[in-house]
Amino acid sequence: MGAKVKTMERRGSTFIERIYLVEIFKGMARTLSHLLRNLKDNSKLYVRHYPEVQPEIPAGWRGRHRLTTHDDGTVKCVACFMCQTNCPADCISIEAGERHDDKAEKMPVSFNINLLECIYCGYCVEACPLDAIRMDTGIFSLTDNNRQAFIIGLDELLTTPGAYPEEDQKKGGA
Amino acid sequence: MSLLDIFMIAVRVAFSAFIPLCFIAVCVWMERRGAGFFQDRAGPNRAAIYGFRAAGLVQNAADGIKLFFKEDMISDHIKHKFFFVMAPFIVFFCAIISFAVVPFADTLVLGGRGYVMQGIPMDIGILWFLAVTGFSVYGIILAGWSSANKFGLLGSLRSAAQVISYEIPMGLALVSMLIVYGTVNLSEMAQYQGQLLFGFIPMWGAFLQPVSLMIFVIAAFAECNRTPFDLAEGESELVAGFHVEYSAMKFAVFFMGEYVAMFASSAIIITLFFGGYQIPFLNTQALITFAKPVAFFMMIGLPIGMYYFAGWIRRNNVSHYPRENDPRVTEANVYIKCFWGLVVIIELLLIGILICQSGGSAAHVFVALLQICTFLVKVTMMIFVYIWVRWTLPRFRYDQLQKLGWQMLLPLALLNIFITSAVVIALS
Amino acid sequence: MFAEVLFIAFAALSILGAIGLILFRHPMKGAMSLIVTMISLAGLYALLSAELIFVLQLIVYAGAIMSLIIFIIMFLNIQDNDLPIEEGRYLYLAGGIAVIIPIACFMIKVVKSIPAHQATIVGNGFGGVKEVGLVLFQDWLLPFEIVSLLLLVALIGAVVLAGKRRLLK
Repeated sequence: MGAKVKTMERRGSTFIERIYLVEIFKGMARTLSHLLRNLKDNSKLYVRHYPEVQPEIPAGWRGRHRLTTHDDGTVKCVACFMCQTNCPADCISIEAGERHDDKAEKMPVSFNINLLECIYCGYCVEACPLDAIRMDTGIFSLTDNNRQAFIIGLDELLTTPGAYPEEDQKKGGA
Repeated sequence: MSLLDIFMIAVRVAFSAFIPLCFIAVCVWMERRGAGFFQDRAGPNRAAIYGFRAAGLVQNAADGIKLFFKEDMISDHIKHKFFFVMAPFIVFFCAIISFAVVPFADTLVLGGRGYVMQGIPMDIGILWFLAVTGFSVYGIILAGWSSANKFGLLGSLRSAAQVISYEIPMGLALVSMLIVYGTVNLSEMAQYQGQLLFGFIPMWGAFLQPVSLMIFVIAAFAECNRTPFDLAEGESELVAGFHVEYSAMKFAVFFMGEYVAMFASSAIIITLFFGGYQIPFLNTQALITFAKPVAFFMMIGLPIGMYYFAGWIRRNNVSHYPRENDPRVTEANVYIKCFWGLVVIIELLLIGILICQSGGSAAHVFVALLQICTFLVKVTMMIFVYIWVRWTLPRFRYDQLQKLGWQMLLPLALLNIFITSAVVIALS
Repeated sequence: MFAEVLFIAFAALSILGAIGLILFRHPMKGAMSLIVTMISLAGLYALLSAELIFVLQLIVYAGAIMSLIIFIIMFLNIQDNDLPIEEGRYLYLAGGIAVIIPIACFMIKVVKSIPAHQATIVGNGFGGVKEVGLVLFQDWLLPFEIVSLLLLVALIGAVVLAGKRRLLK
C-alpha cells in the first residue's frame, strides 16, 4: 500500500516570477485588500474583545482543579496518593489523616496544589480512582501579585464549584 | 534683517526639526495599527485617557512614558561606554539633519523678497542627504561593536555591509536623475517637476525615470534597515541585532532614529520622484493665480469629505459587542465635533482668502500652506508604502541581499545611466 | 566674525582629532578621531565655499573610506590585550617633537613671509558642482582621465591579487 503522493507544482521559475516585482505587487495587492476591508468596517477583524467578552470554554477543557464531594458535602478524596504519584510536574502535596465518618479509612488533612508548577496535563484526574479531583472549573485566567497565592489548599479546592452540568461530564469532561 | 526675515528663518528651521519628530508618533501609530489591519487584527487600541483612545494614539504616549521611566542600564561588560552611549545619538542626529535640505514648499515671496522653504538652504541638496545617511552607519557599527555582544556585532556587521553596498546603486540611480534634472539642488528639482510632460502628465521623476525610481526605492529601504532588508535586527536569528544591549531611552532614541530616517528618506523619494510639494497640474504660479477658485472648491469639498469621514468614525468607533450606554459612541461624538470644529476654522480661513486681494501676500501664504500640506500628505503616503511593504514581504537571506545589490541593481543602474544620458544628449 | 569663529573651531577640532589618532591606543578610538578630523576638514572646505569638495570629503573620506576602515576594525575584534606593549612611546614622542619643532619654526617663518593678502569671497558659484565639473571636463580632461585609468589599474590589480589566492587553494 503505497502512500498517496501529491505532486505540487513548483512555482517561481518563469521569467515573470523571476523578476519578482510582479509577484511582489501581487502580494502587496493582497495585503492591501485586507487593510482596506478592515479599515472600511473594523467589525470584520478576527479578534475577540477579551476582557469584556469572555471566551466560551468547552467542557473538555482542563482548567483549574477542584475536589468533588459526596452528596452530604464531605470530601470524596481518600488520600490514596495516586494523583501525587502520577503528577509529572510534582505539584500536588497531600497529607493524609484518619477518617471517622465510616465513608473511608483515610482522608486528606491538607491538599496543596502549586498552580505555578502545574502543567495542566490532567493526569491527576485520570489517575483518581474515586473521581475526587476534577479540572472542570472553567477557570483559565490565574493572576495574582505574589507566588504564595498560587498554592491553593483544601478549602479552596472544595469550595470551587464545577462549571458544567453532570451530563457534560459524562460525555467526556476533564 | 527685518523681523519677518527672522520669523521666516525660525519657521523653516523649526519645521525641518520638529516635523520629523512629530511624525515619529504618526509613523509608529501607522505602523502598529496598519500592521494590525493588514493581519486582520486590531492593533493597540486599549490605552485611553478618560476613555479617549484617539484611535490608538494614546498608546504612543504610554510607550513613551514607559521607556522614559525604565531603568537605563549599561552592562558591566561594556568597556567602551562613551561609544555605547554616543551610538544612538549619532543615528538619531544624522536622521534629523538629513531632512534639513528637503524643500517643503516653493519659495515664498512676501513683500518682494523670496524666502526659501528649506531647513538649510544648500545648493548641494541631494549630495548632503547621501553624505549624512552614510554617517548613520557609524552609529550602528559603534552600537554593535561596543555592546561586546555576538548578536550585536553580527547585526552591525550585516547592517554596515548592507548600507555600504546599497549606497552604490542608490548613488548611481541618483546620477541618472541628476542627468535629467541638470541640477543637484532639491528646490530646483521640485520646481522642475511642476511642468507638464506632453501637456497632460505631471513631469515627475517617476514618469521620467521609472527604473531609477525602482532602484532608488529599493536602496532606500535597505538604507533604512526596513523589511525586507532588516537583517540587521532579524529577530528570529539575531534577537534584536545591534541594539540588543540597549534599554530605556537609549533604545528609544534608536527606535525614533529609525522612524525619522524613514520619514527623511520618504521625503527625499517624494522630492526626487513624486514632484515634492507640487500639486499635480497646478504649479506655484498657477496656484497663486487661481488661489480663489482653489479656495472655493476646497470650501465645498471639505464639508462633504468631513460628512463621510464622520460617518466612518461613527460606524467604526463603537464596541462590537452588546454593551449598555456604549462609551465609545459618546467618544465618537466628541471626535466628530472636534473635527467639525476644525473644518469650521479652516472654512473661516478660506473665506479670508476669498475676501483678500488676489495675488497678494495672503494668496502667497495660502499657496505655501497648501504646498506644505501636499508635501506632508505625499510623505505620509510614502511612509505608508514602507509599512505596507514591511507587512507584506518576508526578510531576505543575506546572500540574496548582496546578490540583489551587486548583481541586479548595480548593472541596472549603470545601464540606466547610459540610456538616460544618450536620450538626454539626443534630445538636446 | 562668525566665519572666523567657525574656522578656529574646525581647525582646533581637526588638530585634536589628529592628536587623538596618534595618542589613542585602541584602533577604534583612533579611527573615530580620524573621522572627527575628516569632518572638520570638510567644514574648512565649506568655509572656503568649495561646496563640491566639502560634500565629497563627507561622502568619500568621512563616509565611505572611514566606514570601511571601522568595518575592518570591528571585524578583527581587537581586545586591549591584543595590542602591542609600547614601551618608551613617550620617548619616541619627545624625540619626534624635538625633530619637528625646527621644521615647524621654519614653516611658520615661510608662511609669515608671504605678503598679507585680504581673502575675499569669490563669486557665488565658485566650487559648486557645475563649476568644478566644467573645469574638470574641459580644462583638465586629460589628467582626469589618466587619474581614472590609474584607479582602474589599481582596482583590477586588487581583483587579480584577490583571485590569485583562491586559485592557489
